[in-house]
Amino acid sequence: MNSLNFINPFGVSEDPGSYVGDFYTDNFAKGAGEGTLILNLGPQHPSTHGVLRVIVELEGEYVVRAEPVLGYLHRMHEKMAEVKTPWQYIPNMGRVDYLHPIAWNWAQVGACERLAGIEVPERAEYLRVVSCELNRISSHLMWWGAFVMDLGGVTPILYAFEEREKINDILQIVTGSRLTMSYFRFGGVSADVDDRFVRLTKEFVPYLRERLKMYKALVTDNVILRRRLEGVGPMDADLCRRHGATGPILRAAGLKRDTRTDAPYGVYHKFQYNVPTGPSDDCLGRYMLRLAEIEASLDIVEQAMGSLPPGPVRIDKAPKAGWKLPAGETYFAVEGARGQVGVHLVSDGGKNHYRVKLRAPGFSNLSLFAEAARGVLLADAIAILGSLDLVIPEVDR
Amino acid sequence: MIKAVVDNLKGLWSLVVGLSVTGRFFLSPQKTVHFPRDVVGPEILESFRGPLELVPADDQGGSKCISCQMCARACPGDCITVVKGDAGKAPKEYKYDFTLCCLCAACVESCPAGAIRFSHRVYMVARSREELRLDLLADLRERCGLEPAPAPAPADKTKAVA
Repeated sequence: MNSLNFINPFGVSEDPGSYVGDFYTDNFAKGAGEGTLILNLGPQHPSTHGVLRVIVELEGEYVVRAEPVLGYLHRMHEKMAEVKTPWQYIPNMGRVDYLHPIAWNWAQVGACERLAGIEVPERAEYLRVVSCELNRISSHLMWWGAFVMDLGGVTPILYAFEEREKINDILQIVTGSRLTMSYFRFGGVSADVDDRFVRLTKEFVPYLRERLKMYKALVTDNVILRRRLEGVGPMDADLCRRHGATGPILRAAGLKRDTRTDAPYGVYHKFQYNVPTGPSDDCLGRYMLRLAEIEASLDIVEQAMGSLPPGPVRIDKAPKAGWKLPAGETYFAVEGARGQVGVHLVSDGGKNHYRVKLRAPGFSNLSLFAEAARGVLLADAIAILGSLDLVIPEVDR
Repeated sequence: MIKAVVDNLKGLWSLVVGLSVTGRFFLSPQKTVHFPRDVVGPEILESFRGPLELVPADDQGGSKCISCQMCARACPGDCITVVKGDAGKAPKEYKYDFTLCCLCAACVESCPAGAIRFSHRVYMVARSREELRLDLLADLRERCGLEPAPAPAPADKTKAVA
């Protein structure tokens, strides 16, 4: 027993003299070839968007193998549900995915409503659509800035934040917060919109359409970005299917799969909007697709604000804080900015949930990375990682 | 050969277009709000959720609270402690731990008397955890001017930005 085994409590290294890492690197390093280098990307590297750790085996500048290591931001959200009432679990959803909290909010509230058979007033359904789509736009804007920053362009994220602040101002009117918003309640939404909300939202739609032209001139048409992304990290439909990828990644691969149209919820069926697919399954395709999704979301917001029906925003006798779910099991899925957000809920009729399973789209999307990054340049691997639009709190939950 | 030259020229032109965009923004007025020299306007703070405060029932430091414990039971973070007074419904103690609060409004929405609301104290600063464990009854009396404020606020030299 030498001192090296002391720092290797798992004792899995066959040759202690060559031991350099921890449990994960040790398992990973087995079979590493001659002349290759094992490199840790993260967990605290800016390009990994949070605390994702990727172990890569490099041969020169090329990635031979890549393996994500998860769990650095695991906060037991699913376990927490077992000690919380449905009402107390609402704020948790904003912490799961801080970039698109309202989609998670909708998934959880919608699952409880489906189990209890609660119908939501029409005005509340419209407001749900408006807030969810505004939040989707802000999530995509944040991704757009962070992705370009991954590739080396620092300026665009500052422009993206200008728009994001405008959306935050709008959503703060009804939710009270700017990041971990929770707007939905069982049987409706927490507050009705005021004139300022309506005015700012109606101003925002044409404003962002103008700004998207600027985005195109500044970044999308830029020759450096195009040569950096074209043909990098192709993820075809077969790869997406094998790993269960959803959302923009699947749609960029050419499959028209969107929970909003495939399993309609809310009042999405009342609006005319385009579910963009393609144009290609590489990083540039995913980039173009997300910008097209922003425009589609703007169309939905414009139509919903134009035809906002009058009426209450919450049912009479809406469930209070001590509300108990009826016994049963249900699954409710919504389309988040990253893909299908699902909540599988089991209740035994007690005060707290019996069990909650959260389906995070980022988790499935990240599993594509190991395969897509094989054989690419290290810098391209960062581009692939960025194009997946990962939010690590959501991946680890 | 000619195609490569044209492609490169188009690429160069795209860089010029991008630089003209950033150049235009460089010359446009600044939009960042530099705290503490500038502060955001009161319109934005209207819906801001700061730490909880009790709604005054009168100007004598009385609250609307009826000590029903609904807020304490609804709270997911267990941050509210209400102790019922000896006479009547009024509480004799209303302790609120801001370190545990997630500002979810479960308490505000479940209060049958409408006795609590969110304050708009956006510039709150504390040097220790103890300072964040608030006594809301004392806070209410202080706002009614019954207890002297602990320290005078510094002269307001900031200007509001919309």
